Amino acid sequence: MAKPTTIRIPEDLLNEINEFVQKSKLDRSAYLREVLRKGFSIDKQDRLLLKYARKELSQVEVCEELKWDTWRFLAQLKARNLYLNVEFEDWLDAAELPS
Amino acid sequence: MTRMVADSSALILLAKCGLLEIVCNLFEIIVPKAVNIEVATEDLVKNYPDAALISDLISKGAIKVQSSGSDRLPLPISLHRGKEDALLLAIKLGRSLFATDDGKAIKAAKFFKVPFIITPKIVVELFRLQKISFKKARKSLEKLSKIGRYSPEIIADALVSLMEEKNGKTNNHKDT
Repeated sequence: MAKPTTIRIPEDLLNEINEFVQKSKLDRSAYLREVLRKGFSIDKQDRLLLKYARKELSQVEVCEELKWDTWRFLAQLKARNLYLNVEFEDWLDAAELPS
Repeated sequence: MTRMVADSSALILLAKCGLLEIVCNLFEIIVPKAVNIEVATEDLVKNYPDAALISDLISKGAIKVQSSGSDRLPLPISLHRGKEDALLLAIKLGRSLFATDDGKAIKAAKFFKVPFIITPKIVVELFRLQKISFKKARKSLEKLSKIGRYSPEIIADALVSLMEEKNGKTNNHKDT
């Protein structure tokens, strides 16, 4: 069930939203809910991937938070032109295989 | 036989670059139970060929699943269960390499002074040990770059190492 909440938003943004909603013949509340859901999803992904890049989260921890599997995680890195959080120093420090 | 304790990131990238079976034939590969759950669930096996391969290798016993026990590591950073269990197993078993492609897990391995290896290094090392051809090694590194999302800096240096190994081998043949 939807619960009410109150936020203050800049007047110019509110005017722009109202104008767009009117022109597009959308339900204002439903539209705002949809925008919030989409925006939250994108922002959550961005913030968690930033934490991954900083090594504050592991790959599995990000996947768990976003309900992704590792394959989707790798595909998302590619889509955003991001790389694994393994550093050049880690490559240099990696052990050799015994002969 | 060298023992390698792998986490989910290493297993998947080894599968992606076509080296998992070779590595399983050459080394004793051990994964903790949590890693098995992370990479080889029924759903994942249905959707991804890599997961199906990992599951198959586990069922054949080429990848051993082992419990890490109930101990926990006194880590300065929190680690996910699978990675912590893999690191714990590498410490408990001793003389083991910890295979991972996760920066946070590497950070923890460095803290506990556990020798770790990353997939591009495995590729170069397999070529050095003459277990795979130059062509296969180069192709694997390309896959690690494109699909595995390894940084261009690491892949470039891995390719240089590969070339150096190749040239070294050619020169050795010329010398003899």
